[in-house]
Amino acid sequence: MLENVTADLARTEILTRMAVFKLTCFTHLRILSLLLVALATGLTLSANAAPRKPSDDSEVLERLPTRAGDAGARELLALRAAMAAAENDPRPAGRLAQHYFDLAMARGDPRYVGYAEAVLARFPEPLPAELLSIRGMLRQYRHDFQAALDDFAAALALDPQLAQAHAWRAAIFLVQANYPAAQQECRALLALGKGVLYGSCSGLAQAYGGQLAAGYHALQQALTSSHDPDNRLWLLTRMGEVAAWRGQPDVAERHYREALRIGRDDGYLLAAWSDFLLDSGRPADVLRELATWESSDTLLLRLAEAAALANAPEAARLAQTLDDRFAAARQRGDTTHRAEEARFALHLRHDPARALRLAAENYAVQREPRDARVLLEAAIAAGDPIAAQPARDWLHNSGFEDRRLRDLGQRSALASVQGKPPASAQR
Amino acid sequence: MLCLLSSLLCLAPPALAHKASDSYLILEVNGSEVSGQWDIALRDIDFALGLDVDGNGEITWGELRARHADIDAWALGRLGLQRGGACRIRVADHLVDTHTDGAYAVLQLTGACPRADAELSVSYRLLFELDALHRGLLHLTLDGTSHSAVLAPERAEQHFVAGQSSRLAQFGQYLVEGIWHIWIGFDHILFLLALLLPAVLVHEKGGWHGVARFRDALHEVLWVVTAFTAAHSITLSLAALGLIELPSRLVESAIAASVVLAAANNLKPLVEGRRWLVAFAFGLIHGFGFASVLAELGLPQQALVLSLLGFNLGVEVGQLAIVAVFLPLAFALRDTRFYRRGVFIGGSLATLAIALIWLIERAFDLKLLGG
Repeated sequence: MLENVTADLARTEILTRMAVFKLTCFTHLRILSLLLVALATGLTLSANAAPRKPSDDSEVLERLPTRAGDAGARELLALRAAMAAAENDPRPAGRLAQHYFDLAMARGDPRYVGYAEAVLARFPEPLPAELLSIRGMLRQYRHDFQAALDDFAAALALDPQLAQAHAWRAAIFLVQANYPAAQQECRALLALGKGVLYGSCSGLAQAYGGQLAAGYHALQQALTSSHDPDNRLWLLTRMGEVAAWRGQPDVAERHYREALRIGRDDGYLLAAWSDFLLDSGRPADVLRELATWESSDTLLLRLAEAAALANAPEAARLAQTLDDRFAAARQRGDTTHRAEEARFALHLRHDPARALRLAAENYAVQREPRDARVLLEAAIAAGDPIAAQPARDWLHNSGFEDRRLRDLGQRSALASVQGKPPASAQR
Repeated sequence: MLCLLSSLLCLAPPALAHKASDSYLILEVNGSEVSGQWDIALRDIDFALGLDVDGNGEITWGELRARHADIDAWALGRLGLQRGGACRIRVADHLVDTHTDGAYAVLQLTGACPRADAELSVSYRLLFELDALHRGLLHLTLDGTSHSAVLAPERAEQHFVAGQSSRLAQFGQYLVEGIWHIWIGFDHILFLLALLLPAVLVHEKGGWHGVARFRDALHEVLWVVTAFTAAHSITLSLAALGLIELPSRLVESAIAASVVLAAANNLKPLVEGRRWLVAFAFGLIHGFGFASVLAELGLPQQALVLSLLGFNLGVEVGQLAIVAVFLPLAFALRDTRFYRRGVFIGGSLATLAIALIWLIERAFDLKLLGG
């Protein structure tokens, strides 16, 4: 949007100039000319702040994510230096790429994904196993799931011990709702002696596949034998989700809070925790928890939803910011955020038709419970039961046990009969 | 082990947050002339060149300004334009702007290509060696035709021709310009109105009377408007194609004079019944006035005639819109004292006065009122 406006800017300027050119001839009409010019300028300004030339050298234009002296910056510097010192060695390059990817995940900043890809692009095909595995991670980030699965398979062919590749393949199969294939990868992890990883993998596969209790216990089992804070954070987050699906909000909240106490930035944890709070009718808590996380689109969506529910003064601004970000992503042909955009269209723009289109497009690629939920909600709001058939098929085939989703499934089947969307579909 | 588990988690956050890196490249190529604007994120420039000299995590205007020469060399070295050979591009000015993900350096570009009519190729490789997800978002206006493209590592070089398909859009654009110009061109409107005011009246026995039938008024109006359009189309085309050139002061003065005469003719009729001839004669002058506006807009080389036609039709549509509002109103009011004294005589007097002031201002390059 911004860029359309920028492109229009030149035209607007010509028109303004024309108006000025003509009108200055007619001084008795100066008031009209002022009005016209003010109107034209006003239109321009309201849409986009025009390029400007600062007058003060000390004006701060941008704050960088890292400062030169920070520990994080020093670590990056060392990794870059190591790669530069051994240009053809895949190991330091792999470490730098992995570090970039971890930064992207922790901060929700896709620029680091691009940096990681650029590091890999320096190496000729065929890539060694560790770089193949990283490229698979980067490709799944872009939702190029088949290419990612192929990369992980190629990495495993070179190095059958690469547990990471199995874990990633399992994760992708879970997103695709292919639970038998996911279970097969879980068993491969077990065969490699990765017990905690196996528990996490199979626990999630069971939960998605219709056995919430068994899945929960598998995750719990994995938690008792895990001491690594990152692993514990992940397991606790997932146990929070599963507990909420089982209709145990108190248990869920306990898990989320324990995960938060570990004290690491984690976009997924914050998103899941916020969704839980929103579902529990506690938008004020979301506004407090996410106050400093506007820069992440995923979390900005939750913030904007909470602000709208709480009638917070910043609600309109947050929604507009999110709108601009989606527009910017669309410009570059990015479609990885359709699930979020569907939720935005449904809850914040009250545009069920657009929400349904986005949710359906997303569901063709990603089929996790949250993807099914937004599809069902959008179909109910739009009064279009047929569009939600894939989600109902998944509910039927998987036997997924969350009461809320099952209710949505039933309501979506009746959506056209009711004619009018139930109010609760708006959350 | 640490990242193995998080791999199961990493997949889950549905990507996108902050924003991947984009630069915004707006180019206008008219014949061999190139102008444009290139917005590049300060974060990206910092990643490539290092802007934060004092290492405090903040980029100031001073830090950016000190590196302008380096930034220009770095950026321009990664952008290639070709039209019958390499175009020479330079940075004319440096500004800053803000997009959704932060502050951007704005490079204002200007330059020239060897040829004015060949296809244009754009090759782009800014940041690709550092950030494989970087994209150049290009908005190109090539000889008046708009193109958009996403420049990516696998589509780093793209070719553009001022295509047939968008000719229609271009036609539409100039049509709108024509309509717009009539609306803001008060001297044209006043001239037209001065000619139209008497259209619902007939001058008989030394006095004005309302016409009997709407058809008579319509007939008169159509003749006047068509003659005006035909005349200004001729001179507009001649001037826009560079076949005739008149000094703008002369043209503007003559336009003012035409309004004076048209208004005066209403008060003391000299020409009557053949007002279309007046419209035609002065329409020739007004055409030169339109041409100066068109010169400001710039005419695309590739679709010259079509754009001219669009602009002319736009002017016509604008005029017809005025007529469509004016005529029924005037016809309804034609027998009232309000119309004959107030609108017709009063309006003509006011028009005469205003036009006289323009005439003096333009002819003697003076500012009589206020300005």
